[in-house]
Amino acid sequence: MSEKFHHIGKSLPRVDAPGKVSGLTRFITDMHFDSMVFAYPVVSPIAFGALDGVDISPARKMPGFLGAWFAGDIPGENQVGVILPDQPLFAQDKLRFVGDAIGIVAAETEVDAISAARSVKIDTTPREPILSINASKMATGKKIHENNIACEHRLERGDIQAGFADADVVVEADLVTPYQEHFYLEPQGCIVVPQGDAFTVYGSIQCVFYVQKAIAKVLGISFSKVRVIQTPTGGAFGGKEDIPSEMCARAAVAAWHLQRPVKMIYRRRDDVQWTSKRHPFQMHYKVGVSKTGKLLSADIILEENAGAYATLSSVVSYRATMQAMGPYAIPNIQVHSTSYYTNLPPTGAFRGFGSPQATFGHERMMDILADRLGMDPVEFRLKNILKPGQETQTGHALSTSVGAEATLLKSANAAEWQTDARPMVSKDGRYREALGVSVCHYGNCLGAAGWSMDGAGVKIQINRDGSIAVAFGLIEMGQGALTVVTQMTAEALGVNAERISILPTDTSQVPDSGPSVASRNIVMTGNAIRNAVEKLKPILSTAAAEAMECAPENVAFQNDQVVNTKSGNALSISALCEYLYVTNRPMDALGWWHVPALTYDAQTGRGEAYFTYSYATHIARVQVDTLTGQVRVQKVWAAHDVGKIINPAGLAGQVQGGVVQGAGWAIYENFGHDNAGRITTPNLSTYLLPTAADSVDVQAFWIEDPEPLGPWGAKGIGEPAIIPTAAAIANAVSRIVGQPMNQIPLTPERVLVAFEDKVVHE
Amino acid sequence: MAQIKFKVNGKSTSVRVDPDTPLLWVLRDHLQLTGTKYSCGMGICGCCTVHLDGKATRSCITPVSAVAGKAVTTIEGLGKEGLHPLQKAWIDDDVPQCGYCQPGQIMTAAELLAEHPNPTDEEIDTAMDGALCRCGTYQRIRNAIHKAAKEL
Repeated sequence: MSEKFHHIGKSLPRVDAPGKVSGLTRFITDMHFDSMVFAYPVVSPIAFGALDGVDISPARKMPGFLGAWFAGDIPGENQVGVILPDQPLFAQDKLRFVGDAIGIVAAETEVDAISAARSVKIDTTPREPILSINASKMATGKKIHENNIACEHRLERGDIQAGFADADVVVEADLVTPYQEHFYLEPQGCIVVPQGDAFTVYGSIQCVFYVQKAIAKVLGISFSKVRVIQTPTGGAFGGKEDIPSEMCARAAVAAWHLQRPVKMIYRRRDDVQWTSKRHPFQMHYKVGVSKTGKLLSADIILEENAGAYATLSSVVSYRATMQAMGPYAIPNIQVHSTSYYTNLPPTGAFRGFGSPQATFGHERMMDILADRLGMDPVEFRLKNILKPGQETQTGHALSTSVGAEATLLKSANAAEWQTDARPMVSKDGRYREALGVSVCHYGNCLGAAGWSMDGAGVKIQINRDGSIAVAFGLIEMGQGALTVVTQMTAEALGVNAERISILPTDTSQVPDSGPSVASRNIVMTGNAIRNAVEKLKPILSTAAAEAMECAPENVAFQNDQVVNTKSGNALSISALCEYLYVTNRPMDALGWWHVPALTYDAQTGRGEAYFTYSYATHIARVQVDTLTGQVRVQKVWAAHDVGKIINPAGLAGQVQGGVVQGAGWAIYENFGHDNAGRITTPNLSTYLLPTAADSVDVQAFWIEDPEPLGPWGAKGIGEPAIIPTAAAIANAVSRIVGQPMNQIPLTPERVLVAFEDKVVHE
Repeated sequence: MAQIKFKVNGKSTSVRVDPDTPLLWVLRDHLQLTGTKYSCGMGICGCCTVHLDGKATRSCITPVSAVAGKAVTTIEGLGKEGLHPLQKAWIDDDVPQCGYCQPGQIMTAAELLAEHPNPTDEEIDTAMDGALCRCGTYQRIRNAIHKAAKEL
């Protein structure tokens, strides 16, 4: 594009960095209100069974105890299910996981609240819990809900049997991906402040509108009586999409009864035991190809562990189904996805939202197939990669912004991809190294399954001193939203970024804009900014023309000034803003953007599942220590098609961080639970996160293939950053070991066993 | 309860608390120095790192009694005149994402630079290994430490 930009494509330094490096940014845990008290939930000690009763007499004896409230004390509806109404705020009869909330206790201090909540005696009749997908599937008499299936999705296109009949090679494999705990370093937290019959809620939240709806329902009051304000959020990664709704609603019950501000911050081990995680998947892929390497047919079964409640499973499962075979052209495909309830914490949103799992499936298959065909993995992918004009697996012909092939070529060239599959071996034989490749696509925004709520807004308010305040409906959680919203507003208005301040996200500022998920902030908010500026520009131009005594069409906004293009006279933005005020003109505008209508058939899974896709290729150079089984990622070449770069530094930061988080899931993060449904990795001594020493050298490359519906051509990046990493690592380790590594994490034990199997087989 | 006297960011202070109270909560709840964060509560993640007589210390597992008569420096007191070179480098290199761990990262890095004014990559990785960042900003932390080392 030849268009000149002043802000787009430039690395405006993060606007929130000064507060974050000085310790002055106030997170929810740092906030305090007069007469504030503290709350903590009373939760189920068992994974499955009946709740027979509670005895709060030990809590009553605790210092500072103020009250305890249970299902019968909820003023409104006892329901917080975000999609399916299957989750009570407080369990009444059935207990479904360790951590299922039963009630809420309040006390004068935080320590007293926690001690009092833990002291409540809970009488139960335990049953044997269902702790795996297979146990849930096989369970005959035991049902966690009305049945054990939380949701199902199907996709059918072409004729898979005919496709397999035409195939020269058909390969089947089972693939397994594990839980991943978000481990945002800031635990979940909120403060609910009552004000008569209305409530103001502050918290570490990915969707203020979900929280508003949940509290209104639980307290039986209107949305207008609930105002939710997001506080700076210390990591979320999906873990603060739906969980804050139940958490804030619990605190709100205490605030309703006490009429005092109520603060609640989860302790770490409780946060891990009680809140959502990435869905474990077990997958069966059967894929047929011609001997020339053309994909002909795929039959894919995806099974997900949904945990005790459906929460966001149906949309995670939808995304995995729609993207199950990756960014490749395939004429015949069938996908069947089922989420199973188990007696474990509900799984939900986690960066990628089903895509890292599905990508592990299709990218391991692409390597297995290439191996069977005796073909190079990159060459095999290039034969099938989706090109403009070709149809996605859902039958959606994409004519523009299909950068999949470009990302693959860019990464392969940069990594000096070797077709020789043999690993490099160190002189002493101990260390082996190889490259692994993985390609993904990611449907931007919520897709057909979430289309009805896929709109978002901004409010731009011009002040008479020339400063500009922007409220937006989505949120900053570390991904850089505040900075790119500043840049996009500055670009659209033609003013300096210094004039712009971004307000905390607040339900009272902007209509329901949905959650900050699905890599949708740049696309949604960017388009909404352009819409708001379209409304403001005529007002500004008319006023400027009047002030400068010229025709409105001769007015231009350039370099933070209003210029009369005929005379060359200029007016400062500050002077124009003052003129707007004294001439009694409107000084704000609401901008809105909604994803255009998508043609999609839920029965067959065919049609426009998403309006556009982002694409990425990661190539990882991986080293395995054959003595210890340790896997180390030495370097990742990451190429991403982002449509148009908004902020290069922020973009690179997202990709570096995504790769580290993806490497964590692939190698280190070995989540576990015992036979009673208790998590055995509830803290950092047992759940290993990547550290500075495990950091990956990431070299990132950008493909700019503009998306016509994206603002300035941009597409989302937050999630594509993590999606291909794990499969690239597993593909490299498979080449090193000489055995298909179809299950992660690649723990030392799993790697050593694979080496041993290899020797036995040979 | 005990009266415990120590210095915080150069100023003498005295608190009356249970001597077993972790320093973290004394700083946050009694002295309103909220830049130091709770995260894991076990001294593993590094979010609560402060300096105790110049040594990087995990305040969530340090009883306040152990601090009596000593000097504590928190993120709020790190820069003697305005921001510390590390904080400036952090801003210049766009290091923070969510930002929750960054006060602890910077305090850990400040001790490293005090002991190794010109650290190698390996020295940085060793020193920073116990300061976790879930956003994965390690690559930039390393670069920012090198940059600040040149300024100091």
